[in-house]
Amino acid sequence: MNIVVTVSDMKLSNDPETLISTYSLGSCIGISIHDPVAQVGGILHFMLPESKLDPIKAEKNPYMFADTGIPRLFDEAYDLGGKKERMKIAAFGGAQILGQKGLFNIGERNNSAVRKILSKNNIVLDYEDLGGSFNRTLKLAVKNGRVWVKVSGKGEKEI
Amino acid sequence: MSDITEIIKGIEKLRPIPQVAHKIMSIAQDPETSSSELSDVVVYDQALTAGLLRMCNCAYFGLSKTIDSVHHAVVYLGMDQVVDLVLMISGAENLKKRQDGYDLREGELWRNSVSSALIARELAEKKGSKNNHLIFTAALLKDIGKVVLNQYVAGSSEKINTLVSMQGLSFIEAEKEVIGIDHAELGAMVAEEWNFAPKMVKVIRNHHLSEGLSNIDFETSIVFLADTLCMMMGIGVGVDGLAYRFHSEVLEHLNITERDMQEIMAGFAGKIKQVEDFINLS
Repeated sequence: MNIVVTVSDMKLSNDPETLISTYSLGSCIGISIHDPVAQVGGILHFMLPESKLDPIKAEKNPYMFADTGIPRLFDEAYDLGGKKERMKIAAFGGAQILGQKGLFNIGERNNSAVRKILSKNNIVLDYEDLGGSFNRTLKLAVKNGRVWVKVSGKGEKEI
Repeated sequence: MSDITEIIKGIEKLRPIPQVAHKIMSIAQDPETSSSELSDVVVYDQALTAGLLRMCNCAYFGLSKTIDSVHHAVVYLGMDQVVDLVLMISGAENLKKRQDGYDLREGELWRNSVSSALIARELAEKKGSKNNHLIFTAALLKDIGKVVLNQYVAGSSEKINTLVSMQGLSFIEAEKEVIGIDHAELGAMVAEEWNFAPKMVKVIRNHHLSEGLSNIDFETSIVFLADTLCMMMGIGVGVDGLAYRFHSEVLEHLNITERDMQEIMAGFAGKIKQVEDFINLS
């Protein structure tokens, strides 16, 4: 089965036949998580760094923000039988418009948010493809944790 | 460098914007106009009426009643909204097809066009603009030049990508450098050919602010910002990615902070499912 994660959304599965994808990561970030033993995998596609921007929206849709979405990604993976020490984690996206600096650089702020939240929880990214000015698409196979990333115009590659 | 005259000839291959769209625009811009004048023009075109009613009844508008006539549509959605819908239906044909040169699947360019137009309209309203239809339509049609330039970008993609990745050019600068003309210039020519107002031609020509900031006007700023937000959200983005120049001065000019920017993105993402339905119905 193919599951598509839209912007500000998250999907996990423990069905080995499932492929989870998310398209068009601009400044947004797609985080993939996978436990090879439990065969649990998921993708979060969040858009903005901090839920304090709009706590009501964050309550309604926690996947919109890094700080409310990332904990849920892990919690749900644990609920499906995933274990933190076996988990492979990768992050993609966080791109920026040329010359987008400081606070306007939402892509870079998303990248920092991911690093901050993960390091606070002693989690290290196994792979990252962040920044630049590209548009990325991400795909994860729940069965074996294979991950493919496609940069528009450059074709798909497995990481 | 390609033969520019040959490229420009490609404009003729586009399906021209229907006459009714021009009539609607001029009716909308006339403060003396009545809603029945608008209805009269629309009902005359059966396909347009059918398309309009289909869209009025989608979840995006969340109306509790079924809209079954153009008159009803104007009553429940208001004249401004109906005008925008008519302009959308008129502009859809050319922008829906896949554009391989830009690595855009079928419907992707259209998704970007409609999303930009909806965001631009919202921004324009917030800022109390009187030119909402022009802004909506300019945002909707801003990338029509890509449809003409698509095959030439396909043929030069390696050179363009090298200039972007190695020399730090923006995608539109690289188009101009390699092909000799860029999609914004071509888009302006299309708008001229279709007899749009000079203001609209100007906004489309400068929607990436490639002519600089010295003469920047309100309408162009709004369309530029809406486009920027769509690129950041990855809506209908292709090979050009986010490789366009950002100008924070535009936000200052519009009195929009980075927080406002995030709020607009959050607001748009919050209704993305309804927007998708809306786009798929159009």
